[in-house]
Amino acid sequence: MSNDESKVREIRPRNPGFAGIVGEFDLTEAQIRGTDYVGQRPRHGGHASVAGTMPYHVATRDASVPLFEGEYGERLEKVLSRYEDKQAALLPALHLAHEIRGYLSPDTMDQVAERLGIPPAYVRGVATFYTMYNLQPMGRYLIQVCTNISCNLCGGEDVLHAFVEQIGAEVGEVSANGLFTVIEVECLGACGFPTVVQINERFFENVKVDDVPAILERLTAEAALLPA
Amino acid sequence: MAYPYRHPSEVRLLSEHFGNPEARTLKGWEARGGYTALRKSLGMSRGDIVNEVKASGLRGRGGAGFPTGVKWSFMPAYTGKPHYLLCNADESEPGTFKDRELMRWTPHALVEGCLIGAYAINAGHAYIYIRGEFFEAAQIVARAIEEAYAAGYAGKNVMGSGIDLDVTLHLGAGAYICGEETGLMNSLEGRRGEPRVKPPFPAVAGAFGKPSTINNVETLCVVPHLINNGGAWYKQWGTEKSTGTKLFCVSGHVQRPGNYEVPMGFNFKEFIYDMCGGPAPGRTIKAVIPGGSSVPIMTGDELDIGMDYEAMAAAGTMLGCGSVIVMDDTTDIVKQVRRMVDFYAHESCGQCTPCREGTAWAAKILRRIEAGWGNEADLQTLMDISDNMAGKTICVLSDAAAAPITSSIQKFREDYLALIRRGENLAAARIA
Repeated sequence: MSNDESKVREIRPRNPGFAGIVGEFDLTEAQIRGTDYVGQRPRHGGHASVAGTMPYHVATRDASVPLFEGEYGERLEKVLSRYEDKQAALLPALHLAHEIRGYLSPDTMDQVAERLGIPPAYVRGVATFYTMYNLQPMGRYLIQVCTNISCNLCGGEDVLHAFVEQIGAEVGEVSANGLFTVIEVECLGACGFPTVVQINERFFENVKVDDVPAILERLTAEAALLPA
Repeated sequence: MAYPYRHPSEVRLLSEHFGNPEARTLKGWEARGGYTALRKSLGMSRGDIVNEVKASGLRGRGGAGFPTGVKWSFMPAYTGKPHYLLCNADESEPGTFKDRELMRWTPHALVEGCLIGAYAINAGHAYIYIRGEFFEAAQIVARAIEEAYAAGYAGKNVMGSGIDLDVTLHLGAGAYICGEETGLMNSLEGRRGEPRVKPPFPAVAGAFGKPSTINNVETLCVVPHLINNGGAWYKQWGTEKSTGTKLFCVSGHVQRPGNYEVPMGFNFKEFIYDMCGGPAPGRTIKAVIPGGSSVPIMTGDELDIGMDYEAMAAAGTMLGCGSVIVMDDTTDIVKQVRRMVDFYAHESCGQCTPCREGTAWAAKILRRIEAGWGNEADLQTLMDISDNMAGKTICVLSDAAAAPITSSIQKFREDYLALIRRGENLAAARIA
């Protein structure tokens, strides 16, 4: 092992691709995240029992894309078939709309309300209750830093400030290049790997202040490969 | 074995395959004995399954510790209405991360547990409500459910038994209160996740107004083992009233944070110092929260007790969901309590005045104390607010918010007073 490689191992011992400290195990990032097992999830949602649980692509982010037609329409039909009451499809439908449009505008919420036969005001009430539904456009990457107690004890607030400084926007604002928004969130459920940062649908674990530039670099490089 | 550190004193019942990617697949799970319990239970009567779970003494692993067999026996025999089994995978209690590990390493354990549980309570449909942030774990569980359907282990005519059992994975959208049983039911129904008044209890009118039972992920993962080995087998570990093993999540200022599975009644001090490596060199433990942020805080001297429901209750705290948060002597207790109360204020659904107003008010006072503008009367105000919150609301979020406040003021009063005095000195210097 060269001098540089051993230095890198020292800084981030056995932390493959920000999937967290692996301790006594010898695992790759793909093995930890289970990406091989999960594979490429189909756009029509797969089996009806799980059609409501696709990743949160922030894919098209286009206000004109029809919400529930084609494959997305198929997914919603599958979701509706799993509950005895149409109203129960509201959370999955809002997730779907969020995925297509990038956030929930009043118009989007009204379209969901109409499709499900629920009063628009009720949909507003539900959308504002849950923290994951963004009611304003966000950056392409929503960086959610946990600062609750376990991560707080291990420097979570420093990680938050590092992200804020390096993207050059305040908490909740979109960065100038439109790529990043940083927010502070509550416990993400991976407390043994402080600090936990969720970026869109992916967890980054054991994030230290020194890891922040590398994460932002990686995301910027990825964004360059995605369609605008 | 637990993840990411193993220890020889562990009993690896649920965590045997953590860190083993091969155990995720249906084939890999079956090669390790999976789905034999489902086959066996479909040949048993529902009453017999409930009796095995009762005989095991298994208590709910989501924090309340209610005997699971007793809960299942509350379901009515026949009402003509559909029954539902709900799996609470909305793991949002600060400090808790065991369900995520169970779901991402052993998803089939959960699927099998849900299918057996659904059969036992005469439910045709099991909903797994998973928190929205757990996309990665949800995708793994989704794949596992699809594999189960493809193999005929879920859906119509499960394993040729003539019984229909459906499983649906439902994603939440970011709300701690949806981990409360009736809050979860409201959220599943597409409403704001506001808890309901009980009675009526879930077994009478739960999800969609139908008889429902709700269980934690870890609880359901134990069930296949009880079917395979009989309920009494589970009693070989633990104490008389807290049987079996438990996954404990350790976080904070320890050298080896992670999940560990030990028998109930394991010595807490040995657990933290030996198994988890204790605090960093040169530091001492100031405070420990044994069961997630909703339980009273313990000082570093009170740790020589067993990790079970009774011993923790006798020590003035609670086992809760077994999420151990360790704080060493560099910790600012007031800051951490403030952060916890901020969390509860944020997550309060807002229905009940004592919780909605109390958590917000307590958070404001704590921020003021932390910033150096507190006074001694604030401590009494905080105790009064806590007294007006605990036990006076529809759900126990307000009790959970009151626990860190009252326990930290009782046990770490000097920390508060130091900040208050420092503030008073600074104010005096400013006025002079």
